[in-house]
Amino acid sequence: MSVDISIAVQAEGFDPGAEYRQLRRANCEDGATAMFVGNVRDFSPDDAGGKQSVSVLELEHYPGMAESALTDIAREAAQRWPLGRVRVIHRFGPLAAGDEIVFVGTTSAHRQASLDACAFIMDFLKSRAPFWKKEVGVGKDGKTQGSWVEARSSDEQALKKW
Amino acid sequence: MIKVLFFASLREQLDCDAVDVAADGLDTIDDLRNSLGARGEAWQKALADERLQVALTQQLSTSDATLQDGDEVAFFPPVTGG
Repeated sequence: MSVDISIAVQAEGFDPGAEYRQLRRANCEDGATAMFVGNVRDFSPDDAGGKQSVSVLELEHYPGMAESALTDIAREAAQRWPLGRVRVIHRFGPLAAGDEIVFVGTTSAHRQASLDACAFIMDFLKSRAPFWKKEVGVGKDGKTQGSWVEARSSDEQALKKW
Repeated sequence: MIKVLFFASLREQLDCDAVDVAADGLDTIDDLRNSLGARGEAWQKALADERLQVALTQQLSTSDATLQDGDEVAFFPPVTGG
């Protein structure tokens, strides 16, 4: 049976509860649902090992490629695991601390497939989907400043376990 | 024409989000990169960053990939979504 894949790249917020209900709607063959939600932190580590406050996170994306990259990652997961449904949402634009950024939901007959597929999709999304974060906050000097988030080598490392 | 896009910190460094480049004489993405680098010191410096990623027709690609007239190419820093 083919996997039901649904991808959204959007500025609007989303309701994780509503997404859960959609994953479960008329879906009695899947006994497991795994979900991940990523939210905006209100701080980022500074160079001195302390914390810098973040008031706005600006998410830039590559329209078109963002959707196709997420679709490719979801399809790859659907080939590796026996999944029922896959839902991925990624937001763009200015986001405030606490806002939801990303949602990944997977369903399967038994838990291991949905849990592994959910983690796999997040790991590949982190290193392969064209989104970039810019943190905007107020520095120690009281001035507003923005800085692009640097990619972490640990994210690239995370792909090796798959 | 090759449509070239720039994103995130690279877009800010170049102060440019897109350019159209004549496809003549550009066989590979490397050729395109060299041609863009000749636009000035800022371009040369920004595009010399080895960490930059490149997409050809919206798929991650490599510098030796072959270009065709009408292609869309994008250069950007390592992605940081999620």
